[in-house]
Amino acid sequence: MSYKNFKVARMLMAMFIAMTVSIAVSIENVLLAVSAIGIGMISMVLIKRSVKEVLVDEMVKTIAGKSALMAYTITVPVLAFLSLILMFSNLSNRGSEMYNLGIILSYVALFNMAAYSLAYYYYQKKYGRDNE
Amino acid sequence: MAEITNNIKILRAGKGMTQEDLAEKAKVTRQTIIAIEKGKYVPSLELAFKICKVFDKKIEEIFKTI
Repeated sequence: MSYKNFKVARMLMAMFIAMTVSIAVSIENVLLAVSAIGIGMISMVLIKRSVKEVLVDEMVKTIAGKSALMAYTITVPVLAFLSLILMFSNLSNRGSEMYNLGIILSYVALFNMAAYSLAYYYYQKKYGRDNE
Repeated sequence: MAEITNNIKILRAGKGMTQEDLAEKAKVTRQTIIAIEKGKYVPSLELAFKICKVFDKKIEEIFKTI
């Protein structure tokens, strides 16, 4: 399969998953949604295998790495700031949904930071960089 | 940081190769070859050596620092 055909197949698969999940949500059928995602993932793996051209190279990985770092740099402070606002603006009403949402968001931010730290530590070890 | 330039485009034209041919031989995407030729992306040492092997040239004959 050529790269052009792969792009078309990827788009069609994304459309199929989006449509099926939307229908599954509207008829409240979890099994349908899960199966659609599962079929989509398996199909994508099979389609990727049939492509003879190089899909991922060092530039793609460099771009992905930089994008991930930028996404992390933006997401974590926004989540942390939003969670602080939600928690401190609802301090008098601690059981409220907004206060709980603030707590959830703060945990999401912490989870992101922990995942980043672990990944950073792992790659630092992998590439043999000593702690100075 | 010193800027790194290359003459891949000239060498490729000299050999009558397309960007796609070079990409295939260096096992990268055509977009990567385009970016390297335009000087927008500096390849890794590994890829630089692969490109040198394709053209049968030394690394300093293809890549230069300004």
